[in-house]
Amino acid sequence: MAHHKQRMTEGCECDMTPMIDVVFQLIIFFIVTIKLEETHNPDIELEYAKHGPVIKEQDPRTMVIEVDQRGWITMHGARMSQQQLAQVLQGRYNRMGVFPVLIRADHRTRHQDVRRIMDTCTAIGIWRISFAALIEKKM
Amino acid sequence: MPRKKKKKEGGAKLEMTPMIDVVFQLLIFFIVTLKEQDILSRLDVSRPAPDPDAKPEEIIQDMLDITVYNEGFVIKGRKYNLQELDRHITRIASFSRDISVIIRCTGDSPHRFLVQLLDICAKNGLTNLSVFSL
Repeated sequence: MAHHKQRMTEGCECDMTPMIDVVFQLIIFFIVTIKLEETHNPDIELEYAKHGPVIKEQDPRTMVIEVDQRGWITMHGARMSQQQLAQVLQGRYNRMGVFPVLIRADHRTRHQDVRRIMDTCTAIGIWRISFAALIEKKM
Repeated sequence: MPRKKKKKEGGAKLEMTPMIDVVFQLLIFFIVTLKEQDILSRLDVSRPAPDPDAKPEEIIQDMLDITVYNEGFVIKGRKYNLQELDRHITRIASFSRDISVIIRCTGDSPHRFLVQLLDICAKNGLTNLSVFSL
């Protein structure tokens, strides 16, 4: 009788192997997809443009320039003046020639602030400029 | 002898509880910090050379001139709202998609008007877009 009781308590453990397999798969998925570094300015709210071509595989040479509703220019989270932007773009242009420029401008930004970026680009010889817009906003 | 062997096997069992605890903590951390990326579109324009009086008469044909100001859009002196502009551009694009669209933006116009206009052009397959600033 006593022997039977002991077996009962020991036998309540279930097979953990499949669960651990699944959990490890999930963890590996999250590790691979996580992006800890925030490279975009979170204050910028883009306007919707559902008919434009989707940005899937962005050209790695693309330079993303952000401008918020106050007209502040940021690049990879660093705020810069128009002169600094011109220096950065000029340096890159000297190294690699023409490269794609993507402007992420807030929908409330006045055109004169966007214009400063476009003028800086055209001054060094970049005529094709792209604007980023939203197709679908995720949480 | 066979009894002893059995006991040894039982002792080799690992304690799984701490590992499962840690693994679940990690899983919860990753789930909480996961942020899905927004799906973005790209609207291409060209910024013409800053010499406005280069060849003014050569480009008059097949050209749609739209001014964007802080309250909306103007084509040939007539004001348009977004729906009217959409209809107008759709009608023009049904004749020709090769038409050049000249967009002139005033400095105080919000950027969303330009994006809305570029979206309409993208919808109608107009790709020859130039943006000027006033």
